[in-house]
Amino acid sequence: MNLTGKKGFITLITSIVFLVLACDGNDKPDPTPDNGFDKTAMLTNYADNLIIPGYTNLQGQLQTLETAVNAFLNAPTTANQQTLKPIFKEAYLQFQRVSVYQVGPAETVLLSNFLNTFPANTTAIENNINSGTYNFAQTSVLDQQGFPALDYLLFSPNAIQRLTEATNNNRKKYIQDVINRSKSLVNTVATEWNSNYRTQFVTNTRTDVGSPIGYLVNQFAFELDQLKGPRIGWPFGKMSGGTVFADKSEGYYAGISGALAVENLNSLKKAYTGNNSGKGISDYLVALKKDQLNSDVIKQFDTAIDQLKAIPDPMSNAFTNNKELVDAAYRQIQTLLTYVKTDVASATGVRITYQDSDGD
Amino acid sequence: MTVTNSNRRENGLPGWWDWLQRPIHIAPLITFRILFGGMMLASIIRFWLNGWITELYVEPSFYFTYLGFEWVHPLGYTGMHLLFTIMAISSLLILLGLFYRPAAVLFFLTFTYVELIDSTNYLNHYYFVSLISFLLIWLPANRYWALDVVFFPRIRREQVPLWTVGLIRLQLGMVYFFAGIAKLHPDWLLNAMPLRIWLPAKTHLPLIGPFLYEPWVAYFFSWFGAIYDLGIAFFLINRKTRPVAYFFVLAFHLATAVFFPGIGMFPYIMIVSSFIFFSSNFHAGIFKSLEPIFSPFITEANFKVYSLRPITQKFFLTVFSLYFILQVIIPFRYLLYPGHLFWNEEGFRFSWRVMLMEKSGIAYFYIKEPATGKTYEINNREFLTPLQEKMMSTQPDMMIRYAHHLAAVYAGRGLKEPAVYAESYVSLNGERSRLYLDSTVNLAKQVVGWKHYTWVLPYIKTEQ
Repeated sequence: MNLTGKKGFITLITSIVFLVLACDGNDKPDPTPDNGFDKTAMLTNYADNLIIPGYTNLQGQLQTLETAVNAFLNAPTTANQQTLKPIFKEAYLQFQRVSVYQVGPAETVLLSNFLNTFPANTTAIENNINSGTYNFAQTSVLDQQGFPALDYLLFSPNAIQRLTEATNNNRKKYIQDVINRSKSLVNTVATEWNSNYRTQFVTNTRTDVGSPIGYLVNQFAFELDQLKGPRIGWPFGKMSGGTVFADKSEGYYAGISGALAVENLNSLKKAYTGNNSGKGISDYLVALKKDQLNSDVIKQFDTAIDQLKAIPDPMSNAFTNNKELVDAAYRQIQTLLTYVKTDVASATGVRITYQDSDGD
Repeated sequence: MTVTNSNRRENGLPGWWDWLQRPIHIAPLITFRILFGGMMLASIIRFWLNGWITELYVEPSFYFTYLGFEWVHPLGYTGMHLLFTIMAISSLLILLGLFYRPAAVLFFLTFTYVELIDSTNYLNHYYFVSLISFLLIWLPANRYWALDVVFFPRIRREQVPLWTVGLIRLQLGMVYFFAGIAKLHPDWLLNAMPLRIWLPAKTHLPLIGPFLYEPWVAYFFSWFGAIYDLGIAFFLINRKTRPVAYFFVLAFHLATAVFFPGIGMFPYIMIVSSFIFFSSNFHAGIFKSLEPIFSPFITEANFKVYSLRPITQKFFLTVFSLYFILQVIIPFRYLLYPGHLFWNEEGFRFSWRVMLMEKSGIAYFYIKEPATGKTYEINNREFLTPLQEKMMSTQPDMMIRYAHHLAAVYAGRGLKEPAVYAESYVSLNGERSRLYLDSTVNLAKQVVGWKHYTWVLPYIKTEQ
């Protein structure tokens, strides 16, 4: 038995254990932002200038929407419906502006899933109204609440007629419950951001699965996937051999599918550039010396947004009447998605996966 | 089993044979058995608790099988959990040295079966575990400090021929050495890729974090890694350099564990396995110092040397010669294929190519029905888990299997002779993404096999 060997071995183990303990688990922000890139400043910009104001704004919009909806429910007339529509649209657009930030508290409560799973399941909604029993907290009723449910309940062709029927109380209550549910979810998220989560967010400069930066890049890919699939591709008939399902598009009954899609992509670009603040993911790419890639991505954002804007609203009609325009926009979105999932993900060292596992 | 003592020259065998038969203390095998069994048990429990059994082997509706192993299928929720239970029990039995040989066989079979279900989950260290558990089947690792010895004292041995420990050292040394050879690649050495991409993503680390934007750090890590992999086994074999070398093993693998938490159990498996390079006397000392605690189980000393009958010996020699020849050939099989190894990935797996490239891709699949001219774009999420989609998007052998699956599904949905086309893009080692497959080729008509896949577009270096 070699004693010196053993002693040396124990010293070695101790020093290694110490080294690991020193390295693991404390995620303090980079103490001195070096010549590289200040990730904490970037995250602070996202939190203070885009995410928190976005939720505050959405809270306000939902408040306004509630008032307008109540006015409509009290007097369900065509005129009141017309007054309500732009207010509904504004709130829905505001949601598009925060949709990409499903990280932290929004991810915990599954905000986007509960607020915007479309198309709404209209049969289930009608059943809920008839029975008067439903639990919005269940993930099985994702498609019976949020904006898509309101879109159907407030703006479907026979909405006014149904609200003036004798049995309209159940229906009115359901609409109010949907609004309350939406408000409470947004309030939870906003409160959490304003109290604890902001600090966690801005100080976590990791990039692995579950980290803010990892989430951001993954969310870009996710939202673009949504845009390409559920928002445009699926209702347009891309997956169904050309058979159009216009009523499956987002904001179908209010006829605002185009506006919502444009706002969604605009917001994505804003999120990508950090609202041109010099502190966005785009600037991180520049710091990583990926200038060309960055300018290509921004250019592709612009092209896709332009093509999307060229489609006349309601986009659900364009699926049949302006196929070429929709197809052109669809191609550009696909190219943008390709950039994000391959070039951008590679350059930032972020794994695009919504699933955790070992790698090597 | 018979007792033998030297004079093997009479068999006309050369000097190295004698050297391989040199008796040494059995302790390194025993330490290895206990650590390996324990680590496997821990890994299985971790895997189970993470919900990965269900996520990886129950939930997917489609699995990417390996060539020649298409008969391997997942066994359903109960079946998979039963399989993992058997695996866990056999690793516990290996740890305890109870019914050791059947346990080793069972562990090897269950573990390897699970790995063969879906190439999505291929990891080099899973392959390593399969190989090691195969080797363990043949080794007398239950002849000392094992419950088998408590129940069957006559099998107790304190001395084993050097080859029994040498096999594991050789296997481990080969893993390192081949991993080192794989790093002798211009991307790795001259461009510090992919570390140059991965390190700036790790600037949150204390102390070292701010330096990780510096390219020289990536170069340093790349060169250090290559030299480490090429040399470490030799330094571990050498008695004089061994303590320092093991320090490097710890430092290197713990650093990778801190930098890349995503690689899971791999660093710990290598740290623990490399322990076998310490001398048999060192290992024997460990058991000596533990003796007072386990005294009720210690049976009387027995100085017989473990040995095999000549016929068995010849059989073992054949098996292991074949085994190691294959181990040398398999990593180089890529030379039989044209094209760029990282791009085409023909002969990439089972070659100790660990963390060698940053590759991301995206694949859009289209089904066309010739009779109607209708096109159906595929939503990959309908058929694949996110992990499967990600893995498939950069690996042609998975893409073709997926294409065939899609053709079958759509034929089942009533399409006549569905043709499958893919538009896919891949970015390799920080280069800009490029079209990956020939998007005009009907993949449904292409054959799955060992031959070079001509429908993968050739690699052309693009700007960064």
